[in-house]
Amino acid sequence: MEPPEDSKIGLEEAEEIILRWDSTASDEARDKMIFDGDRLEVDRYLHAVDRIQRSISSISISDDQAKVNSAIQIAMARLEDEFRNILLIHTAPIEADSLTDPSSSTHSSSAASSSGAAADFEDDPYEDKDDDEILQRGDSSNSVSYRSTSSIREIDLIPSDAVIDLRSIAERMISAGYLRECIQVYGSVRKSAVDSSFRKLGIEKLSIGDIQRLEWAQLETKIRRWIRAAKVCIRIVFASEKKLCEQIFEGLGTAIDDACFMETVKGPAIQLFNFAEAISISRRSPEKLFKILDLHDALMDLIPDIDAVFESKSSESIRIQAAEILSRLAEAARGILSEFENAVLREPSRVPVPGGTIHPLTRYVMNYISLISDYKQTLNELIVSKPSTGSRYSGDPTTPDMEFAEREGKTPLALHLIWIIVILQFNLDGKSKHYKDASLVHLFMMNNVHYIVQKVKGSPELREMIGDDYLRKMTGKFRLAATNYQRATWVRVLYCLRDEGLHVSGSFSSGVSKSALRERFKTFNAMFEEVHRTQATWLVPDSQLREELRISISEKLIPAYRSFLGRFRNHIESGKHPENYIKYSAEDLENAVLDFFEGCPVSQHLRRRSH
Amino acid sequence: MRATENQGSFLNRISIRRNQVVSMDGNHEQELEDIELFQKHVADRFSNLLSPSSSSSAESPSDSILSIAWLRKLLDTFLCCEAEFKALLIIGREPSQVSKPPLDRLIPELLDRVVKALDVCNAVTHGVEAVRHCQKLAEIAVSALEQKPIGDGQVRRAKKALNSLIAAVAIEDRDGVGSKSTERAWSFGRRGGSACAGSKDRTAGQFRSLWWGMAKGWSAAKQIQAMSSNLVAPRGAESTGLAHPVYIMSTVVVFVMWALVAAIPCQERTGLVTHFPVPRQLGWAQPIISLQEKIAEEWKKKEKKCSAGVLEEMQRLERLAQSLIEFTDSFQCPAEAERLGEVAAQVAELAETCRRMEEGLVPLQQQIREVFHKVVRTRTEVLNVLDQVGKASTTPTI
Repeated sequence: MEPPEDSKIGLEEAEEIILRWDSTASDEARDKMIFDGDRLEVDRYLHAVDRIQRSISSISISDDQAKVNSAIQIAMARLEDEFRNILLIHTAPIEADSLTDPSSSTHSSSAASSSGAAADFEDDPYEDKDDDEILQRGDSSNSVSYRSTSSIREIDLIPSDAVIDLRSIAERMISAGYLRECIQVYGSVRKSAVDSSFRKLGIEKLSIGDIQRLEWAQLETKIRRWIRAAKVCIRIVFASEKKLCEQIFEGLGTAIDDACFMETVKGPAIQLFNFAEAISISRRSPEKLFKILDLHDALMDLIPDIDAVFESKSSESIRIQAAEILSRLAEAARGILSEFENAVLREPSRVPVPGGTIHPLTRYVMNYISLISDYKQTLNELIVSKPSTGSRYSGDPTTPDMEFAEREGKTPLALHLIWIIVILQFNLDGKSKHYKDASLVHLFMMNNVHYIVQKVKGSPELREMIGDDYLRKMTGKFRLAATNYQRATWVRVLYCLRDEGLHVSGSFSSGVSKSALRERFKTFNAMFEEVHRTQATWLVPDSQLREELRISISEKLIPAYRSFLGRFRNHIESGKHPENYIKYSAEDLENAVLDFFEGCPVSQHLRRRSH
Repeated sequence: MRATENQGSFLNRISIRRNQVVSMDGNHEQELEDIELFQKHVADRFSNLLSPSSSSSAESPSDSILSIAWLRKLLDTFLCCEAEFKALLIIGREPSQVSKPPLDRLIPELLDRVVKALDVCNAVTHGVEAVRHCQKLAEIAVSALEQKPIGDGQVRRAKKALNSLIAAVAIEDRDGVGSKSTERAWSFGRRGGSACAGSKDRTAGQFRSLWWGMAKGWSAAKQIQAMSSNLVAPRGAESTGLAHPVYIMSTVVVFVMWALVAAIPCQERTGLVTHFPVPRQLGWAQPIISLQEKIAEEWKKKEKKCSAGVLEEMQRLERLAQSLIEFTDSFQCPAEAERLGEVAAQVAELAETCRRMEEGLVPLQQQIREVFHKVVRTRTEVLNVLDQVGKASTTPTI
């Protein structure tokens, strides 16, 4: 049999071929697919279609015209089914491997992406480390920036010979005026392929109500998953669908490839963004800040890719939605920071921390702002307004103010961080007043301000933002608190060891009032025991600070006691029951000081050196 | 364990008491006036919706109730009411007023309704896509039947498209009938028929995936039901002050969302309520009640017919599609001139309907987005006000 040539195929023969493949007419026609079979048959069929179409313009008799039109309709119905069939055969959701490892370029159901794959291959953009360590006590983990350069990667979803077939069908359908049918079929098959890919990526359909009801911890997991999935969706799935549309439909009419693309991905794209949108409108609370920033950064990263993939006019709404969500996330971040500041300022707990140690609020806030400093790249862009501080002239006792010197040359974000520290101290100051013991007030402040200083020093980013000037100021503050503590406790104790009032002139004894002396010793002992018992239960967590404080106490106490003992012990020892008055040696006191600020109670009596 | 969990109690127990200014009585007069104005405006705006513009005739009512144009007007009305309400509630008002009883209960309820409305917006957006799909099928039929002379080919083509259309429309009443799409599903849709038998061919799965854009198990009917719970007019002492405008706004929100769900096919509408207990004696509510009754009537008709209708253009589409299918079924070449004349008129009407859909559906979607935005923004602002007054603990946490 001679292969039929295009120009030689007669109209009647063409009609016959078409009628033979009319699936409403015969079982055989229905059960077999042209494009599954012999390539020669495929060619013949397509030529037949072309022949019939060409004849439309040349036929004038209405009867023949009706016949031709009827044949065209049969052919188009057939081609529609063939089109659908080819698409269905080659529809498999993108394999999981190629979704997670962009450097692998081949896998079973998609052809090697070498042909026409435009992508720049970047190093694994999926390097998002899971930031599970948010706000763990004391540590701020290094968060990897989610910014990576965009890398669109188009996979060939359908092998090129099938694409050629699809294109040749589409061409004919479109020129016969059956564009709408073509788009419908294409869209329905590809859309379900995209849906399957979505399911594989773990993209869930969640309503806003669902998301409201979930615990934040669960949402964090979902956000992480969404970020990974969204990157794949946009850079691979959608990009590849777009490429497929172009391969099949480009040049066949005005923006037909756009129409098919939108038909395929509009629904899924909306579904994808709905999640991010729901997160962006959730109620603001401080612990959400960092995941929201992650989401913001990931989306911002994706915007260039979104703009590229959805560049046509008909997909404008998607670009707009993405931009809206981004701006809402930014707003949410700003709002959360502001709320955090308010919360720190007004945090109302009154229960004093036992032992004057570091308040949980201090730890939380310092961890929080350490993390903020890790995110400073993004936050520097988002936070543009200065904190609304009190004014030194307002006289408002409920809000501290920030001095001008502190504001010099600092970014708004840095100002916010300093402000947070200012209000933290302000709040702590208020809390300290709930201690009944004045010494504890100072010890508490000393501990907490010291902790703040240590945390700032421990983070280079934070230190750089807070600045050494303010750091010095805070250092001075906790040192002053230490001094105040000492004054509050020890002045009255040491007062017992003073000289004045002990000497009596013109009396029987050698110028020293024994009764006064005994009183002094008794008082001193009682006071010291009291202080010892009490302040052993106080806590200075920082070992270096604890040591320094103890040394400072000893430096004043021990020499004073020694000298007092030296000068006056004879007078006591010459009287009755000296052991009631001279209970302790200087060494005993030295040892006792070691008990201070350990945070545990001691036994009632001090260790005594037996005389 | 995170430090946050230990300190959750700290920062969630925000109790911020900014300096509260005692409200001056002089403002009271103004407030009463504003509230009355609000009521009047609501009544007026919904009155306008009751009577479509006089330029439309019965034959081609371009903005008759439940047409696309009318829905767009409805959304405009909603936005106006919402803006006025927001001004009433927030602007120039002492934040603390917003937290006094009964507002401390009513406003969080309103916010909750509003969040539910956001999901309705999303569902309806998907529904509009489904309607557009039907429109495109109708356009195929139009383009086939517009050709002169009508031959077998065109008729078959139209018939195919129309059958798909009818099948799509019938699908809605079937839920979760797990039709696995067969590999080689033919596109010749079977007639949906009056018994609402969901055709199990490929078109079924396709339309379901188009319409069912929301989470599994989400139901528009249930959502509306939830939104309308606790919708109770304030009585007695409560009915002065802001409680009444809050009730009005709540009613408006629920009504508008209900109307959207009734009009546009969206996920799981079976069992949609048809009645809200709005007290009849409330003057401002009359237009809304009338509209509600009209729409409810259409809805009941739709349920009987197992159609996807209620949206005026969809109803037209379905009616014309059914009629034209009959024509295609009985077509024999050559057809009678009279019959052809009838068909031509119907095709023209169908074309006109498609044109209106083409013009109006995308803007409708955009408007729904706008509603979404405005509502989110207002909610954020109200939440800010509430937070200022330290009522964060009584409102939902997320």
